[in-house]
Amino acid sequence: MEIVVCVKPVPDAETRLRASPDGRTLDPEAVKFVLAGYDESAVEQALLLKEAVPGSKVHAIAYGPGPRTEEVLRSAIALGCDQATWIDSGADSGGDPVAAARALAASIASVPHDLVLCGKQAGDDESGLVAGALGELLHLPDFSCVVDLRWDAGAGRFRFQRPVEAGLESWTSPTPLVVGLQQAWNDPRTAKLPAILKSRKATIGHATAAPPAGGVSSPEKFELPPPRTGAKMIDYKTPQDAAEQLVRILREDAKVFP
Amino acid sequence: MTGTVLVVGEVQDGHLAGGTVEAIGVARTLGDTVVGFASGTGANAAAAEFGRSGIASAYAAEDPRLDNAPVGARLPALAGAATAAGATVIVVAGTTFGRDLVGHLAVAWDAAVATGVTEATWAEGALRVRRPIFGGRATETRRLAGARQAIALRPHAFPAAADAPTPCAVQPAPVGEVPAALLAGQRTAVAAAARGSGPGLTDASIVVSGGRGVRGPENFHLVEELAASLGAAVGASRAVTDAGWRPTSFQVGQTGRAVSPQLYIAVGISGAIQHIVGMVSSRVIVAINSDASAPIFRVADYGIVGDLFQIVPALTAEIRRVRGL
Repeated sequence: MEIVVCVKPVPDAETRLRASPDGRTLDPEAVKFVLAGYDESAVEQALLLKEAVPGSKVHAIAYGPGPRTEEVLRSAIALGCDQATWIDSGADSGGDPVAAARALAASIASVPHDLVLCGKQAGDDESGLVAGALGELLHLPDFSCVVDLRWDAGAGRFRFQRPVEAGLESWTSPTPLVVGLQQAWNDPRTAKLPAILKSRKATIGHATAAPPAGGVSSPEKFELPPPRTGAKMIDYKTPQDAAEQLVRILREDAKVFP
Repeated sequence: MTGTVLVVGEVQDGHLAGGTVEAIGVARTLGDTVVGFASGTGANAAAAEFGRSGIASAYAAEDPRLDNAPVGARLPALAGAATAAGATVIVVAGTTFGRDLVGHLAVAWDAAVATGVTEATWAEGALRVRRPIFGGRATETRRLAGARQAIALRPHAFPAAADAPTPCAVQPAPVGEVPAALLAGQRTAVAAAARGSGPGLTDASIVVSGGRGVRGPENFHLVEELAASLGAAVGASRAVTDAGWRPTSFQVGQTGRAVSPQLYIAVGISGAIQHIVGMVSSRVIVAINSDASAPIFRVADYGIVGDLFQIVPALTAEIRRVRGL
């Protein structure tokens, strides 16, 4: 099975966020970038499927600026991906997920792909647009929010589930297909030191994307919420007193339930 | 801005899904004509429901082949209806279905798109949208230029459109040839949503989560009873799901689900950044914890320092009392 997994660098969750000098985007200075959380699960799932289906290969592809994009691909290699391709976004730092999908699709179309995996959304822009756009661009069926992705070798099809608003859906699909993954079979593995050292010397394929068509979605402003000033602490005598005060506040001041 | 805006309604149990009325409200602010669209089995009847919000015209792709096919199979009918209606903007509720559709519309309808939208206004000929990012730790404003825009809303971010019953003329939207590759993928079953899992958690207007302070799975019923008294979804911190007290589908946080309900009650949760990023965009946050220095009190609006084993049952009883349960 030829598995392509799309990954993206995002700021570490504990990074202090700050607007760039022009106020339009996140200031990437002094930000520690890591593999996006759901993409980490997608890499894990790709590696688990590789282990389950003999003869499989995992090819990690990322679109974005250097050097952080190349770095997350090295971490994907350290985790066990066989091959990696970096599509340099050059001057495009607008963070348009559709521009990313177009660049990824152009690259994926030129390599073998039975399964195209990505995280269901990235932890920075939280758009969740890439799987749907990839499906449309590659003329493949796509499925978001996938869990429990299993290869049924006898039937030659994938079986998986999707927790959506109506309930837990069960699906089956032949290959090739695009999957926006919500959860792998288990928590993502961590890379071992020798693999990390080896990944530093790994060859990363390099491609350049055509500039995004028109730049139809562009960032105008990046804002941080006013800092929360801390909780109003409820001063009480008995648990019943605390409960009565809180319920009154929630009904009358916060108006969160009638 | 004058123009036609198309609202996509998801059909659930033969009716337009709940968030559709929020999308209609937003569509009214963006154009002078609003048309509806529904697809799959029951689309004709569901499309007529757009009339309840004063919409006089809707399109229906009544075709059972769409019911269990991947979302892409609906795109030809949707793009066709949008073109027939002369629509330049498509608005859809912030469900999984809505988000998926918008990703497709970016390509199939050549639209500038955004998801998770909390504000949408016209500015200098482009649609300007605001949306929370980084788990609610920041907000971005994006400019969607070009001739067409498609947006999926953030759940609960907008009021529902007012009732204004009017007859709605439903026209067929041809589904056309659906590529065989799309029909080969099939949904085979839908099980009712498990409590505390899935978008039940992300959609709920109230979420009650339990953390390590609950001390063990045998005590988690305290959290669940409080949630039940409020009609809330149940969540958990990573400590709880890692310990196996509850499945990982309950986890709220960076590696779990991000939630933004009207009310979030954190019970026995200290407030690791991992958890905070998944709930900080909630409108009102209440924390109940025995440790007054717990970081959760820095992001909460209201705090109670105390023994949750006493506070939570008292709170459940009080809520049940005022709600007449």
